Amino acid sequence: MAYSDKVLDHYNNPRNVGSFAKDDANVGTGVVGAPECGDVMKLQLKITDDGVIEDAKFKTFGCGSAIASSSYVTELVKGKKIDEAMAIKNTLIVKELNLPPVKIHCSVLAEDAIKAAISDWKKRRGAASPAAPADKAQQG
Amino acid sequence: MVECPSCGRRQEPHLTCASCAAPLGVELDCFEALSLPKRLAIEDEALERVYHDLSRRIHPDRYAQAPAGSRDASMRSTALLTRSYRTLRDPVSRGLYWLELRGQKLSDDNKSVPPEIADMVFEVQEQLAESREAKREHRAESADLAAGLEDRRVVLQTAMNGYQTALRGNFVMWDMDRQSQQELISELKLILSNIAYLRTLMRDVDHGLVELKAA
Repeated sequence: MAYSDKVLDHYNNPRNVGSFAKDDANVGTGVVGAPECGDVMKLQLKITDDGVIEDAKFKTFGCGSAIASSSYVTELVKGKKIDEAMAIKNTLIVKELNLPPVKIHCSVLAEDAIKAAISDWKKRRGAASPAAPADKAQQG
Repeated sequence: MVECPSCGRRQEPHLTCASCAAPLGVELDCFEALSLPKRLAIEDEALERVYHDLSRRIHPDRYAQAPAGSRDASMRSTALLTRSYRTLRDPVSRGLYWLELRGQKLSDDNKSVPPEIADMVFEVQEQLAESREAKREHRAESADLAAGLEDRRVVLQTAMNGYQTALRGNFVMWDMDRQSQQELISELKLILSNIAYLRTLMRDVDHGLVELKAA
């Protein structure tokens, strides 16, 4: 199977690889996996108090498409408000990276990682400041 | 209803004909193919015995001189029987097949990685990255790194054994408690995905060891 040029570019020069401190109140961490193939993806978002994603980092252990999907997503979410980021669909990633059908699950994983990171941020902020009650809708 | 290609009798689909015992050559699920009740807890010896007994009875050698219809049926049924045996013999593939029979996929509602697995994945992968770097730079400590990876291999294997035991426990529970199927499915998915993540890690560690040891 041939990877598209964009996948190869993100795979060979992944953007924003790394981590933020997990306990930073402004950082949301999402760890998701694809149990069928054992791929694991960690996405961390640094989010301002008014809900704008100012930075993103990822670490992904898996195939080229999984690495490219998460690398692309870190670029995509920067500067977005959290509700805009929550609305990102995997189909956009598929289209942008030109992923073949067998690799669509990698884009789903990246979409899930964004959602997991944002709900982690919401949950932790709820827990951190007693003034703002935890957002129950984001749990579970 | 299907028709026996050897004697023509019409009957419910089975591996072999109810009247002439010739293979029917029809598709069945893995449990039906081996005439086993739909239960997850299977004894290895019983499975082995049933498989060998059935495969002897429907073996293509016995139908080599038979009319084409019977010969084809023998080959189709033998392929089905072998496929079914291989699927059920390994507990992990048996569990995955069980989910499939229930229209479930391992990844359905099962994307979040348990924290203990995630921690393990990141630790091991960092260890592997470090050993790759040492290897690249021809640093002296690669023997230590190899020993570290060997130790890690043992820890992962121990964890794997634990999940395999948990898997067998889950299989037994299916027979004992038919009430909480939803919980049993969730537990089965969790155990099977933990095994999948561990398998990937162990494969990566083995690969890292081979690379380190390569001159």
